[in-house]
Formats: sequence, structure tokens, C-alpha cells
Amino acid sequence: MARVAVEIPKVGLVMETVRVLRWLRQPGDTIAAGEPLLEVETEKSTVEIESTASGRLQEILAPVDTELQVGDRVAWVETDAAQPAAAAPPAPALTPPAAATPTMPPAVRQEARARGALEGLAARVRATPYARRLAAERGLGLHGIRGSGPGGRIESRDLPPPAAAAGGEPLAPMRRALARAMSLSNATVPQFTVERSFDCSAVQALRVEHARGTAGSPPLSINDFLLQAIARTLIEQPELNATFAGDAGSANARLVRASGAHIGLVVAVDGGLLVPVIHDAEKAGLIELARRRQACVRRALEGKLRGEELEGATFSLSNLGQRGPDRFTALINPPQSAILAVGRQRDCVVASGGGFELRPQSVLTLSVDHRVADGRAAALFVARLVEILEGRDWNFSA
Amino acid sequence: MAQTFIEILRRALDEELARDARVHLLGEDVAAGGAFGVTRGLAQKHGAQRVRNTPISEAAITGLAIGAALGGLRPVLEIMFIDFATLAMDALVNQAAKYRYMSGGQLAVPLVVRTQSGAAGGAAAQHSQSLEAWFIHVPGLVVVAPSSPVEAYGLLKSAIRLGEPVLFIEHKRLYTMREELAEGPADERELPAIGRARIARAGSDLTLIAWSAMTGTALEAAAALAVEGIAAEVIDLRTLLPLDMDTIAASVGRTHRVLIAQEAVTNGGVGAELAARIGAELFDELDAPVERVGCPFAPIPFSPALERALLPGSAALAAAARELLGVPARAGAGGR
Repeated sequence: MARVAVEIPKVGLVMETVRVLRWLRQPGDTIAAGEPLLEVETEKSTVEIESTASGRLQEILAPVDTELQVGDRVAWVETDAAQPAAAAPPAPALTPPAAATPTMPPAVRQEARARGALEGLAARVRATPYARRLAAERGLGLHGIRGSGPGGRIESRDLPPPAAAAGGEPLAPMRRALARAMSLSNATVPQFTVERSFDCSAVQALRVEHARGTAGSPPLSINDFLLQAIARTLIEQPELNATFAGDAGSANARLVRASGAHIGLVVAVDGGLLVPVIHDAEKAGLIELARRRQACVRRALEGKLRGEELEGATFSLSNLGQRGPDRFTALINPPQSAILAVGRQRDCVVASGGGFELRPQSVLTLSVDHRVADGRAAALFVARLVEILEGRDWNFSA
Repeated sequence: MAQTFIEILRRALDEELARDARVHLLGEDVAAGGAFGVTRGLAQKHGAQRVRNTPISEAAITGLAIGAALGGLRPVLEIMFIDFATLAMDALVNQAAKYRYMSGGQLAVPLVVRTQSGAAGGAAAQHSQSLEAWFIHVPGLVVVAPSSPVEAYGLLKSAIRLGEPVLFIEHKRLYTMREELAEGPADERELPAIGRARIARAGSDLTLIAWSAMTGTALEAAAALAVEGIAAEVIDLRTLLPLDMDTIAASVGRTHRVLIAQEAVTNGGVGAELAARIGAELFDELDAPVERVGCPFAPIPFSPALERALLPGSAALAAAARELLGVPARAGAGGR
């Protein structure tokens, strides 16, 4: 027999901490490698963690609600394979998670384990099936609870009541993930904004031209033009195309450059919002961008986005549409470094050739992580964005 | 005006005879009203052709009824006392229950066998039994056991219209029970579906499962428990085969404790089947073992005093419920 530790894998590029939502298996259950073992909540979504070994789930090391780092050990699985003599398993220490794991000499460890097994036999907990189910759902251990049933059997009424928040309603997982991400953003990301309005008439004219000229291909949205303009600017001016990692005050603070223009598109869905990512947007023409945008919005609304479709962006686009505000400021979605908030289009009086003219205008508000870039880079970025958006240099079908 | 179980059964049969010319009544003395007068007057109204007296031979007359059903009629056969259904076992188990299956669905046996069960005061060991468990063991049969006159009205009509062999068990003790029933034949859509139980009383502390006359006993127990602050939910099964596990599961999901009340001897009863299925299918919902209350393993005595001592009553149910909940027994609560 050998014991194999299941650890929290890195799901997505930037996941750092997760929280245990619920265990899908209980100690004693058999499990095959690849079968879901527990559910954790990341900054982005709820993820099932699969067992990396086949055998019997021997011990759960992280009860519900434990915060874990990538690489933390969460369970022991006892496999049928012979235990490799050289590599004795390290002690199943979990807390403190970040600190170095104290190592016990193998002999002491063996003895400790044998003692634990004996205690387990002597103290077989008598509890009703419903009480066991409730305890598992609430992440409670049954040891130490006094049973009021016949022979000290633990019944549901013997469990401490669920920690109900006084009044109010608990958050749905997506709302909770959003609350956490936005709190993280506001508390840890120093953000500043720069703003420019742009003249939408060139883009509008191109949309009309495209709709007339090309039956069969999807209609182009202003967002497709914005996506291409952002992608091009991110490649031309890569300063913003990075994420900040590590602790700002320490030597491990670093910038992680992105491999391409990976742009998140903020999509409002029932109960919150999702940010599917259009990867390598700089390589796609407008028609391809329109197809991919439509597909990911549809999948977001249907709740069918996969984990990797939500990962990898450095920059997000938030457009509240024609019924939205004139302008607004968006909070950066960590670990991204910038987000562009697009105000509605409206006719404005602008100076033109010594006189005045009515032009359709939209205000672009760019929020930037000040740890990643400064005002000058942000100003140049927005200036280039406006230049592209007001021009006629577009790639329709790369 | 409130009518008795007997009068309401007669009304249901009368309406079905009028509604469908294929419906015929068969049985010992039914033209004169039968042993309990359920069919009184129906021969005069619908003709001796459709309400026929039969010889005293349960094997023969059940065979006759099955033949009539196979031939396209919708016979309603009365077997006086479920105790004598033992004489018709071959016809019921080997014939009625098997034709649809063995003919590959080409034949059907749309037959209702009405029969009386239960102890009703001094009818002795051969006329007082609750033998429903024998029939829930047979694939191909449907077993219905109504709990009140109004329930019997709807369930009998649904049974006649079902098109399958149905054993319709009437408890003798319910025959004098009176209930109000609206004038005029019930709308088909209002008839209870065979195979669906009903919540006779809602509660959250435990589920009391009963059928037939024990439903009333369970409701009495629930009322007594309510005084003590215990909210018992009472399920009236209505149909014993097939069992409505959906209704049971929903209730147990609310209460997490189950007490089964049956008049039959506990050994090998419908309650045993219920307990086994609840244990297996609803294991994670249970906060206590499933308990049963039924008759001790003995014949029903002739002596009315001994019969009363044997039958499980509401006090016995309430005591079992308290025990299930871990509530101390009340002083002086010792009767059945």
C-alpha cells in the first residue's frame, strides 16, 4: 500500500488561492484518478479538483472553507501500489499553509499513524445517516459531539446550528466570487484612470458599409472594432500588456508579460457578470472577432464557459451599450492590469475648422494598475486607440 | 347530507354502471345487496343481467370475472372477506396478474375485485385479517386500500377505469363512517390517480405512513401529539402496489423520521416493504431507524375485549412516535 497526496493544482494562469466549497467524496470512499474529489472556489469560478490517484480516500486534510494555496495538500489517497521505499510520504501537515512543513522522523510518523488507527477503531462514532450528511454539508467533524439518541447516537439535532448570518441572504457562488474579486481589486490594486472621447462616425460608416456589402457574414458591432483597436495597441505598446504578480513591497514583485493580446469581454449574466477571454485577438480580423465575440457571449449566457475561457487576459473591455451611461469608470478585474469602460454614443457639439459641428462621440475611460504602468503610458495608449478608431485602417478578415 | 362508506360505494357503482355499459357487478348475493348491502337496489335499477348473483365458490367466480374481463367487459367482483381471497389465489395470481405479460400486451384484464378486510368487532380469526401484503408481492396486480368514504368513491371509480386487475380493499370498520360528498358524478379530472398517495395531515417532526382504516388512527395520534407540540405528517398511501415513493421521499426529506402504522401483523407486512425501501432509497435522510407499529403475531381473537387489546390504536402510535423522537413517555399513557 502507498499513500498519495492530492494537491491543489494550478487551474488557469494566475490562480493563487482557493477555498474549499465541498467534498464530493468521504473518507473510506474509493476513487479513481481523474474523478472529481472536491469543489473549490477560485477568484473566477467554482472548479472541481480531480483525484490524481486511484484508491481509497484515506483522509481529508482541508475541511470546507479552508483557504488554500496552489500546491497545498488536501487529501491522502491510499493506493494498491507498493510503497516506494526511498520516497517516504511527508507528514500530512496542512497548517500553517505557507510555513515550512515540519517533518517527523519516519519511525515516529509510523507510530503516530498506528495510534491514530487504533483510536479510530475504538471511537467509531454512532450517528444517524441524516446527521452524517448534515455534518458533511456543514464541514463539521462528528468527534466530540454528544449524541442524544439511543446509546449516544448522534442525531441531526445534536449538531451545532449552521452559522447563519444574522438576517440577509447568503451569496450565490458567482456573486461571492465577484465580491471577492472586486474587493481584492479595490483593496490591493492602485488604480488611476485616463479618459478620451472619440468620434464614432468612421466606425459607424464602416459598419453600415459592411452590412450592405457582405451578406452572410455576421454584422459587426462597435465592440469588434474596439477589440481590434485594443489588440493592436496592446501589441504596439506592450507596457500595459502584463500582469503584476507577487507582493508589491517585496523582492518577488514582478511583471508577467502576456504572449499575445488576450482581451476579456465583460458580459452581464443573471446574478452577476462573466469575463470570457478572446485570446490572441491581434491575429483575428473583424469578422472573425465578431464570430468569436458572439460565441463567447452566447456561452456565457448559457453558463457553458470552460475554465480556460475565463483565463489569461491582461485587459478587459466593458461596454454598457447605448442605454448605458455617458461615461463610467470600471474596476480592474484582478490580475489584469487595465479595463476600458465605453460610454454610450451621443451627438456632441465639437469645434471644427473655426466653427462648431455635431459629431457622434463616445467617452473611453481607461483604468490602469499603477504598479504596472504610469500616466504617460496610459495616455499614449488611449491616444493610439482613438487614432485607430477614428481611422480607416482595419483588418476585416485575416 | 353525510353518507356512509356503504352508501357512497353504492353511489360510485351506480354511477359507473350508468356511465359504461361494460361495467357488471358479480358476487355472492350482490343482487340482493351483498353481505353488507353495498349493492342494494342496483339489480333493480340496472337489471339482473348486469348485477349477477354467483355461486359460493371464490375460485369459480374469480375465474368467471377474469373471463368476462378478457372478453371485453369491466366486471366488478365482490369477494366477501379478503380471508376468502385465499380460495381465489390461483385465479388472481396465476391468471389475472399474468395475462397482459404472457400475451405480450395483447390481452388485458380490466377487473376490480372488491373485498373486505380488517377486524371490526367479534368477526373472529377467519373473518378479520388484513392480508394485503400477500398481493403486493405479485407483479401485474394493483392494490388499493381507501381510508374514508370520499376516498373510496374516487378510488373505486379510478380503479374501474384503470383497465388493470385491481384488488380494492375495503375496511369493514370504515363501513359506518360518514362523510359529505358533493351531488352528481365527479368529473373524471377530479378522480384520484391510482398510484399516488396523499398527505392527510402536514407536519415537520415525523412522517406517519398509514393506509385504509389506520389512516384515521394515525390522524388521531397526530392530533394527540400536536397537543404536546409534536407535528406529525400523516401520509395516506391509498395505493399499496405500486407504492408512491415520490410522496414518501418528499415527506421524509422534511421530517427525517418515519413511523409506519398497519393493522396487519407486523411480520412480513406492507410496512416491511416500506421500511426496506425507505432504508435503501432515503438512507441519508434518516435521523432514526424506521419504526413499525402493527398487530402482534397472532390470530385476531373472537373476544371483543381481546380483539381491542390486540389492535394497534392511536395511543400505541403516539407512544411509538414519542419514542422515535426521544421524547419521554407521558405519565398514564399506557393504552393502545
